[in-house]
Amino acid sequence: MNITLGHYLALSTILFAVGLAGALTRRNAIIVLMAIEIMFNAAILNLVAFWHFKVFATLTAQMFAIFAVTIAAAESAVGLALVIAIYRHYRSVDVDEMKALKG
Amino acid sequence: MDATYLDIARGLSAEIVLVLAALFALALDLGWLRREGGRERTRAVGVLTIVGLILAAIPVCQMLGNGSQRLLGGTLVVDDLTLLFKLLLIILTALTALISLEYDVGRHVGEYFATMLFGAVGMMLLVATEELITIFVALELTSLCLYILTAFHKSWLRSQEAALKYFMFGAISSAFLLFGLSLVFGVTGTTNIRELMTGSLTPLLGVGLLMILIGFGFKVAVVPFHLWAPDAYEGAPTPVAAYIATGSKVASFFVLTKVLLLGFAGGAGSALWGKFASGWAMLLAVVAVLSMVLGNCAAIVQRNVKRLLAYSSIAHAGYIFIGLIAAGLTGATSVMFYIIVYALTNLGAFGVVAALSARAGGEELTHFNGMAKRAPLLSLLMLIFVLSLAGVPPLGGFFGKFYLFAAAVGQDARHFGLLWLVVVGILMSAVSLYYYLIVLKHMYVEAAADDSRIETPTYLNAALGLVALAVILLGVFPQPTLTLLNSLLSRVL
Repeated sequence: MNITLGHYLALSTILFAVGLAGALTRRNAIIVLMAIEIMFNAAILNLVAFWHFKVFATLTAQMFAIFAVTIAAAESAVGLALVIAIYRHYRSVDVDEMKALKG
Repeated sequence: MDATYLDIARGLSAEIVLVLAALFALALDLGWLRREGGRERTRAVGVLTIVGLILAAIPVCQMLGNGSQRLLGGTLVVDDLTLLFKLLLIILTALTALISLEYDVGRHVGEYFATMLFGAVGMMLLVATEELITIFVALELTSLCLYILTAFHKSWLRSQEAALKYFMFGAISSAFLLFGLSLVFGVTGTTNIRELMTGSLTPLLGVGLLMILIGFGFKVAVVPFHLWAPDAYEGAPTPVAAYIATGSKVASFFVLTKVLLLGFAGGAGSALWGKFASGWAMLLAVVAVLSMVLGNCAAIVQRNVKRLLAYSSIAHAGYIFIGLIAAGLTGATSVMFYIIVYALTNLGAFGVVAALSARAGGEELTHFNGMAKRAPLLSLLMLIFVLSLAGVPPLGGFFGKFYLFAAAVGQDARHFGLLWLVVVGILMSAVSLYYYLIVLKHMYVEAAADDSRIETPTYLNAALGLVALAVILLGVFPQPTLTLLNSLLSRVL
């Protein structure tokens, strides 16, 4: 079978949907972080696929992908720091237990 | 014309000054001031931050009026419009730092002010760019700084919870934004927003645009992407809440306006009554109506002032969307004018809340009972800010709203196609008057349990007084600002 750009876009869409479903339904904050990473990586896969199939003759897609990887890393660093900070209060990382703010 | 490194350094001089100031603030706090008490450190580092911001304002003012430059294919745009908004962001950040001077920000004073300055750099880059990768990077820089700032009450459970919720919604929205940007890039082959739409809105490009709008919808907190806002505002330290509500909103709305009106002008469709056509205008219209109705109605039942202001800012985002739907030069001008008025007014209101709540014991409405007697000057300023938010003439908020609605009615003036949005907006403004007046009722009518005077520092009173003066002047003499924005925007659009 010939793998085309369309296959990659379909795969990235599926990955994005999986990540979104995980982020919205999981209760463990760390798993939510992992799900968000999957969503980021789906977008990065898009960019790399656009570059690989030479849709455009520039390196912009590569550059975009590298920036996106860096930002995803920064994002998860901040996210983990916040999870640790909240763990000190609740002794748990279950997002359903966080009910101090309501309304 | 190729840009030299010198051109780029000159265009970024304000940002460079701010980064240096942030590093210096960190060094000052971690080095020389290590043994000092919390209050002295806050004062010293805060003053350094404000000095850094003033130094950053100097090159911005010098570049004003020097014509426009588009460096590196629009990655860095230096023209009067972006410089004006950079100046506004510097003022907003300086006022936030000023409010923080008297606020207990915990042990990590240096980090607090440095993060605030890095956030300011992100916002300033955001208004200064017309390139998608830079927009994404700058937006993330801003957001990451705001997540960290929200969590700064380390011993306070609500602050941590608010930060985590803000982070999770924000990160999901960033993923949407990145996915949308990758699709838009894949279809158009360019990351320059001026070259995005050459043809019609193809399905894949439409999906990309939709996801970009979802991403921005989270950042500017419109219904149905607003869930983080009330929690983040309530849990965050009050100066940080002010910063989220003003600085980040200004930058996000500015860049959203550019993306929609410069990049996707051809994909607007139509939100005119009876002539609906698919495109972003119709999407924005639905979101605007939902935001105005839900934001205003939910604000009525709030008992916490910061939560109330959060819902009110959701409603204001809805009003601003009406101006975006109106599009064109008048729409863009009214949006920019409203952003300026809204940011100043909201910062003033949060500033008063920050100054009073620490001494009044909390941020519930009942804590503000009898404030008119306990702190007459700040209560008067709060009166001005709240009435401006409610849109009472002759304050800035009234004319801001008036121009937004006028721009919407002026679009398709023969058939009043956008009148339905304006009617919803005006009805909801009437609803909003109710909860704004409740705030004033607590301050002016209810009797306080404790009648002692609340003394606030003179510099804070003076700064908030100047903001109030600006809000009044924007209402009484709106014409100079409007003419200026109109002429600047006519060169860009």
